[in-house]
Amino acid sequence: MELYERSAAQLGKMLRAKECSAVEIAQAINDRIVAVEDKVEAYITLAGDQALEQARAVDAKIAAGENLAPLAGIPIGIKDNICTKGVLTTCASKMLYNFEPPYNATVVDKLLKQNIVCTGKLNMDEFAMGSTCENSYFKKTKNPHDLDYVPGGSSGGSAAAVAAGEAVLALGSDTGGSIREPASYCGIVGLKPTYGSVSRYGLVAFASSLDQIGPMGRTVEDVAMLYSAICGHDPMDATSVHRDYPDFASGMKDDLKGITVGIPKEYYGPGVDEEVKKAVMDGAKMLESCGAVLKEISLPSTDYALSAYYIISSAEASSNLARYDGVKYGYRCENFDSLTDMYEKTRSEGFGDEVKRRIMLGTFVLSSGYFDAYYKRAKLLQKQIADEFAQAFKGCDVILTPTSPSTAFKLGECTDDPLKMYAADICTVTVNIAGLPAISLPCGKGANGLPIGMQLIGSKMSEATLLSTAHCYEKAVGGFGPVPKLV
Amino acid sequence: MQINIRHVAKLARLQFDDSQVEKLEKQMQDILGMVENLPELADGKIGVDQNNPMILRQDEIKPSLRRDDILKNAPKTEAGCIVVPKTVE
Repeated sequence: MELYERSAAQLGKMLRAKECSAVEIAQAINDRIVAVEDKVEAYITLAGDQALEQARAVDAKIAAGENLAPLAGIPIGIKDNICTKGVLTTCASKMLYNFEPPYNATVVDKLLKQNIVCTGKLNMDEFAMGSTCENSYFKKTKNPHDLDYVPGGSSGGSAAAVAAGEAVLALGSDTGGSIREPASYCGIVGLKPTYGSVSRYGLVAFASSLDQIGPMGRTVEDVAMLYSAICGHDPMDATSVHRDYPDFASGMKDDLKGITVGIPKEYYGPGVDEEVKKAVMDGAKMLESCGAVLKEISLPSTDYALSAYYIISSAEASSNLARYDGVKYGYRCENFDSLTDMYEKTRSEGFGDEVKRRIMLGTFVLSSGYFDAYYKRAKLLQKQIADEFAQAFKGCDVILTPTSPSTAFKLGECTDDPLKMYAADICTVTVNIAGLPAISLPCGKGANGLPIGMQLIGSKMSEATLLSTAHCYEKAVGGFGPVPKLV
Repeated sequence: MQINIRHVAKLARLQFDDSQVEKLEKQMQDILGMVENLPELADGKIGVDQNNPMILRQDEIKPSLRRDDILKNAPKTEAGCIVVPKTVE
């Protein structure tokens, strides 16, 4: 097995046993990037030289006998909407094509303190708006399992890099499914943490009440390690939650005795492909064989969730993206005849079509005369959806659903059909609306050979149970597939 | 549902040409058609999470970012200031 195919947990053990050096690991990832990046196009900015430098520092610390964090020396890629000091952070937008943040996001500071190796900045849908990664201003990332298909989005670069062995782990962000859907399409594991458990300081805002940074990896243990490394209270984020966090990677159980898995019928409706339903139900049986009890439940407001999501997220986006005016940073248009003209031309030239659509939708639902009919109704529905989940969790520990209604789209399949793309979020948006944690796991392949994902949803701050359940499933199925060859 | 695209675009500080307005109008109508199915719910309390109220941080003087570092990202600067078009006649 090549170094780039190994998990973070394995590489950590090898480093400590001096079976390989951090430089060898970083070099293996760099070589893999050279070999496959032309095909996958996962990165916007590569940091190969800096990665080797960071790896050399780790080797020096190991040689000096220092006690290092579990992720020290592990190559990790970072989604390009998470600020990295002095390293381009573009949000895959022309608007921020030249933006070099003067500070690090809290999650980046935390990881650097733990001596991780940063491989670079990963492609995404512009401002995290999209489910295919095709809305990037710079490039279209491909699905490593079949290069004619999308990797999902918006954290498509993160998912593709991890799946292709171009990073061992990656950070993504999830506003309506942007970690879980690409994880599902690329056959990897992705966790959307409880709202408030990971600091959003330095995450470029899309919809602040829904956004959350989370870990993506090829094994549940790796995802648990990265989650442990980034969670925790941060005074720089007013929505950050005060609580004690356990070490998630070491607390995982071996069986599912005493765990009740809720199966909500609303998530298995006619909009979901038959092959996806079958794969997820096979997953349910596997959980049962590990000792879990299955229970049919109902979450009646699910059908309205997509509407509530697009109203709330677009409204918040229209406010958040008002800051891009060509004055203080980012793109500024060249020719203008007044301040207002400069604002309008900068924004019209700097934003892509999908971002403009959402700003327009958000501006409309917040505008005079329409606020009560749209935004207020959506916020009331948000509370109802959260209440239904809270009620459901009185009778079960986790909830099992498909992550996406289908396997990955072909490239170009929904470029001109926003509604088709929005529908892919139907199984994931409820989790953000209710502020819950959820994890996507591979659970088989479709007729086209592409991965299918299943989603486990937990109550607030139940990541330990979610990760433990996911880990049992992974062991029961004998692990999640090898890294595609691609060369 | 009629949407005045030009009016909303003005509020959003975006410019669209005629063909874009036509396309956007159709797409916005489709999207609003989707989101209009929301049920009428009894008026309830919406707002911050009661279990996790946000706490304002203390107003303390602390080291902050350096002006020069911040201005490096500005499209146009002069003498430590950001340059914008004339706003007052």
